[in-house]
Amino acid sequence: MFTTGSKYCFGIAGLGSLGAVVYMVLVNPSDVGVLALLGIAIAMSLVGGVAQFTGDFDVDSPNDAVTANVVAPANSMWPLVLAVGGVFLLVGMTTDPIIFILGIVIIIAAGVEWALQSWAERASSDSAFNRFVRERALTSLELPVFVGGGVAIIAVAFSRIMLAVSPQNGAILFIVFATAVLIVGFLVSLKSNMKKSTIAATCVLGAVVLLVSGGIAGFNGNREQLVSAAAEDHYSHKDCEASESKYFDKNSENAVSMKSGVTATIRVKDGKLTAQLIGIDTQVQAVTVRRSNSTTILFRNLDDAQYRLVANLGTKKIADTGVEEEIVDCTQMTGKNQTQALILKISKPSASSGPYTLTVPGLEGQEIAVVVP
Amino acid sequence: MSHDSTLTDSQQNLSTFKKVKQVMRLRRFGLGLAASSAMFLVGCARNAPQDTWQPKGDNAQKINKLDWMVFPLAGIVGVLVFGLIAYILFRFRDKGQALPTQSHGNPAVEIALTIVPALILSVVGVFTFKGIFELAQTNDTQMVINVTGQQWWWEYDYPAQVVNGVEITQPIITSGQLVIPTGTNVLLRETSRDVIHSYWIPALNGKKDAVPGRINLLRIQADKPGIFAGQCTEFCGLSHANMRMEAVALGPEDFAAWIANQQRNAEAPAQATLAQEGEAVFLNQCIRCHQVNGLKKADGTAAIAAPDENVYSGAAPNLTHLMSRNTFAGATFDLLTSSCRKNVWTASPEEFGSAYLKGVTTDCLNQTDLRRWLRNAPEMKPMYADPIKLARSDGKYRGMPNLGLSESDIDKLVAYLSTLK
Amino acid sequence: MAIIERPAPTASILLRAPVTPSQSMGIVRRPVTSTGWKSWVFTVDHKKIGIMYGVFAMFFFIVGGVEALLIRLQLATPDGKILSADLYNQMFTMHATTMIFLFAMPMAAAFANYFLPLQLGARDVAFPRLNALGLWLLVAGGLILNASWFLGGAADGGWFMYSPNSGPVFSPSNGVDFWTLGVQIAGFGSLIGSINLIVTILNMRAPGMTLMKMPVFCWMILVVQFLLVFSLPVITVALVLLTFQRSFGATFFDVAQGADPLLWQHLFWIFGHPEVYVLILPAFGIISEVLPTFSRKPLFGYPFVVFSGASIGLVGFGVWSHHMFATGLGPISVAAFSIATMAIAIPTGVKIFNWTLTMWGGKIWYSTAMKFAIGLIVLFTIGGLSGVTHAVAPSDTQQTDTYYIVAHFHYVLFGGMVFGLFSGFYYWWPKVFGKMLNEKLGGWNFWLMVIGMNMTFGPMHILGLQGQPRRMYVWTEARAGEGLFNFGFWNRVSSLGSLILAIGVLLFLINVVHTTRKGKPAPLDPWDARTLEWITTSPPKEHNFDRIPVVHHLDDFFHRKYQEDATTGTMVQIATGEQLVRDEEANADAHIHLPSPSYWPIAIAIGVGTLGMGVVYGVPIMIVGVLIILGSSFGFVLEPSVADDIDYDPPMSGGQETKELAPLG
Repeated sequence: MFTTGSKYCFGIAGLGSLGAVVYMVLVNPSDVGVLALLGIAIAMSLVGGVAQFTGDFDVDSPNDAVTANVVAPANSMWPLVLAVGGVFLLVGMTTDPIIFILGIVIIIAAGVEWALQSWAERASSDSAFNRFVRERALTSLELPVFVGGGVAIIAVAFSRIMLAVSPQNGAILFIVFATAVLIVGFLVSLKSNMKKSTIAATCVLGAVVLLVSGGIAGFNGNREQLVSAAAEDHYSHKDCEASESKYFDKNSENAVSMKSGVTATIRVKDGKLTAQLIGIDTQVQAVTVRRSNSTTILFRNLDDAQYRLVANLGTKKIADTGVEEEIVDCTQMTGKNQTQALILKISKPSASSGPYTLTVPGLEGQEIAVVVP
Repeated sequence: MSHDSTLTDSQQNLSTFKKVKQVMRLRRFGLGLAASSAMFLVGCARNAPQDTWQPKGDNAQKINKLDWMVFPLAGIVGVLVFGLIAYILFRFRDKGQALPTQSHGNPAVEIALTIVPALILSVVGVFTFKGIFELAQTNDTQMVINVTGQQWWWEYDYPAQVVNGVEITQPIITSGQLVIPTGTNVLLRETSRDVIHSYWIPALNGKKDAVPGRINLLRIQADKPGIFAGQCTEFCGLSHANMRMEAVALGPEDFAAWIANQQRNAEAPAQATLAQEGEAVFLNQCIRCHQVNGLKKADGTAAIAAPDENVYSGAAPNLTHLMSRNTFAGATFDLLTSSCRKNVWTASPEEFGSAYLKGVTTDCLNQTDLRRWLRNAPEMKPMYADPIKLARSDGKYRGMPNLGLSESDIDKLVAYLSTLK
Repeated sequence: MAIIERPAPTASILLRAPVTPSQSMGIVRRPVTSTGWKSWVFTVDHKKIGIMYGVFAMFFFIVGGVEALLIRLQLATPDGKILSADLYNQMFTMHATTMIFLFAMPMAAAFANYFLPLQLGARDVAFPRLNALGLWLLVAGGLILNASWFLGGAADGGWFMYSPNSGPVFSPSNGVDFWTLGVQIAGFGSLIGSINLIVTILNMRAPGMTLMKMPVFCWMILVVQFLLVFSLPVITVALVLLTFQRSFGATFFDVAQGADPLLWQHLFWIFGHPEVYVLILPAFGIISEVLPTFSRKPLFGYPFVVFSGASIGLVGFGVWSHHMFATGLGPISVAAFSIATMAIAIPTGVKIFNWTLTMWGGKIWYSTAMKFAIGLIVLFTIGGLSGVTHAVAPSDTQQTDTYYIVAHFHYVLFGGMVFGLFSGFYYWWPKVFGKMLNEKLGGWNFWLMVIGMNMTFGPMHILGLQGQPRRMYVWTEARAGEGLFNFGFWNRVSSLGSLILAIGVLLFLINVVHTTRKGKPAPLDPWDARTLEWITTSPPKEHNFDRIPVVHHLDDFFHRKYQEDATTGTMVQIATGEQLVRDEEANADAHIHLPSPSYWPIAIAIGVGTLGMGVVYGVPIMIVGVLIILGSSFGFVLEPSVADDIDYDPPMSGGQETKELAPLG
């Protein structure tokens, strides 16, 4: 059942896999040698699969092949595509690695198609049968690859354009493009006897336009706004002042769902700060927090003005300069009847690095002591 | 296969054989019955320190009352069912009778047998419901203790408060043995620094998990002075089996005395004694993780332990009053020799307080276990203390490592630790 | 798969006569052998798949049993030195995981796969290739799970794998990763199987078999499959979250990032509680067949048994937090789940009463299968009663995480589920293998298992109430309590019992070997049974029934053999089992079509296994796995259900691979 040649290939593949496993166990799973052996195994199993599939290395089939070689080969676009792939490969070596990778992919795809097409043509002298055989062999691969690849290319190109232009221009472009697609599709559906080549030409034109503009946009990079936001990293920077911060307080979620996971609730009422510990009914002015333990504190604002809770957790020396920096953590700005949570993890006891306090900027003289025994 | 009404010889042998089977079958009901009754009777008989049927506080007593309702009920139901089965197996065995009536059921009996258990369970349910809410009450709390579980020991801190007239001015930190006053409703606010543990002193109440990120409440109360054993009952890793604790209940004066002692700082040992050399060893090695309040470095500044830098979960037991407790290493090992331990553990409630407050005197110190611990802690209690394997926990220990101390260092340390009363 | 079929000669415009290829040019021919290892590995026949599930499950029963024996050996003495703490933690984790996922569920699947179509009067399940896929996914999962022993240590977080202990910091070895992947992949297999069986039961019953004429075993399997369909996705989600936490840096269970560790517990137990009903209901189904057969009368209250099974399944989704009574849920939640847990005792009690009353007024034949069935009733009752004591939540706060719970679930799982399965073995062995298991050895098997089981797990009730917690790798004399009956005594009794239990199980294996070698061929209807699977040969032919039976009654087979005599009112035999089977053979259907074997299920399973290993060992391996899955899925989908002619050797060539069925008779 297995042809001699393919047995040989599978044998090498098997040995290669075995070798890879042994190598992995004895040396190091992430060593290059493992990859090399696995690569050999995969490559040889592919070759073996193709050989088996095409009946190559099989003693009988050359007779069929010779007999079938009466018909001249048909037209084929695959040599051209392969050449294009080669161009991409060379260009990519000097410009963007992505183009290089694209070139490799195109070469592989074109190579497979070309090889299978010429095999199919020699499979028998019945050209209908040959076509059938080629389709049967390749359709299940071609369809997902082309569709998937096509969708991926369109999506990537489109996204590069959207990232390059300003938000308003992007919206306009989107509307224009979508309308164009709608109109073309409408026209095509109306004229049902339109020639296949016209439709193909329109689609190719649209694709080329999209690809080219996508490429240009990709080279230009993202718009200024996005680049500077990434650089300055506004949104991860806490701003613990009394006033509202443009970035830190944006989209503040003023509802907390973890009611039972808190150790204490700090309330602002009539300008006064009080704390209530879980399990204890009375209001107190000091909260005990255990050392090195992630503790959640709930902050609830019952007054009209907006406040945030700030935890003053001592100071620490910055290694290089020796300057003492205050360790401060805070919630986002909290409106009336809204709640925020703060997670504290204090490693040193109050005795050594304290005192630790919870304050509200804007409420003078009010503080809750945080005792870490 | 059909059966004749007259039995041939082989069939007679067969039925005798089956009679034997009958007896054997009945024997297994005996087994079943014995199992269930044994579960009952012998469960009451002995002196296990963590026995769940010997309540010593009001919470545990409430649970025990529910137990006394449900367990006998279950036992009676079991006995009735097994009795019925035994009867059936004997009465309806194949004696060569004809094929029986192919009855398909009896809806009346079915419905009755559905309703009766439902009624019994509803009664149980009502009492259970009541019990759950009663046991969840915390508004009569008289004392608050924060309990923190960590791999593989328990830490307690007593926040500043006034309890029965005794004032706790600054937080007390202890570990292993939880000291509470008798007749007081104590609220434990439990959490954990790493994984989920569970706090369980069977004599005083059921268990409550210590979940990191949450505060769980457990109310305990002890009627009389005594020491009650407990264990961590949520699988927490390697040494889960070695994570124990005890609750110690002291009468009012004894408790006041204990508080007063705990609020003192440790005193420096006398000059030129082995203990002072031990203090130097402590400052060299142990201070990295363990805190002793009042300990001063050579330059006179307070020595502050930094377990957050060495232990993954960020804390280690505070040893200021180590010798006022009589167990160590997650209450797994005894600081007392076995005869001294017996004196404390089997003391009557009236004498218990003074026996406990004596602490660990030099002649009662369990030198063997303490020395073994100092020599090589991970060998005594499995912990993640191998420096090579600590990559996943940022190079920090989970548990106490082997410090590689010399024997003379150990002598000095033991002398120093003995002064920490 | 055969890609290329011989083309019919067409009118060609070519110069010469068309030359068609002389042989198939497909990659490999579809596997159509009916003998040899290939006929097992590539089979889609529900019977072979059922046997493979059974062999797999039995193997892991032994593995899990050895793990348990090691645990008991470690706990037989104080300060045990047999297992280190680390190894002990791995041992109890793997014991539970193996027993539940690699023994209990596959063994139930074995019975369900083999007997469901037979009891329904069908020729196979609805999706035979999916059936095979389910099996091979289970094998892949089991292999990955146990590979952990050789690849750095098994999982050590308990089978419930609570977080944060299961996270990368607290479980640094790859053991938990293998556990997650193994359970996940085995879960896929079960999920696929459950959909398959639901469709089979709903669509492929014999003509005339309404749902209320279906055997109780099939009903219980139906309920179980619905439980799986709704509970497995929950554990799938939980395991995905855990995989991402451990392998890809997510923080789903990271407390410092604001996560709640109880999330895992809820997700796990929403799966975990229905899972225990998944484990027990098949055993309930089996004894619901065994008890009527050996009492010689029908099941008492069939509709009640069916509906109580369904309500157990339904209410089973509403009690999960009874595993979490000590976690600080708050009194309202605790009370609700406590009451619900008590409620679920009611339908279970109904079943116990129905089984007992089935035997009332009967003509009881104490075969080994019947002994095991009665054993289930007694032992499950004990386990169930201790379960009711847990339902009382305040009591449970004293009992949970102690050996009292271990005792409870071993009584219901071993005394309940395992005894039910063994009853099924002895009952159905003649049908599956054509030979009867030796009854004398069976008797010894039964009694040793009963004594061993009670000796092992009975004392655990006492140990738990005395305060010994679970998952303790060692116990010491110093903390064992005073007097004779302390921890030490009961632990020793329990360990001794486990050895007796092991010998009992060993006797079963000896019985199997003895029967295989020297067993006499079994009669076609040795037990004078009641359900449809007995109208087949022993073992059944590949197509099961020569003629699809038309069903008129519940217990149709019994009604074909016996009729009520009008005058005397007693049951009179009108035909024997053998006569009925010969009758069917004589009137066999003319054209019987069966699906052909296939490579793709095992190929997909290999791909899934590779993907799983890639999660631990690196993305390149994951990519290989994905490619294999993708390719195999295409193959699976595009393959016709029946193999082409070209895949078969011509009948003349002497090969056994022929599409024509062998002539009957």
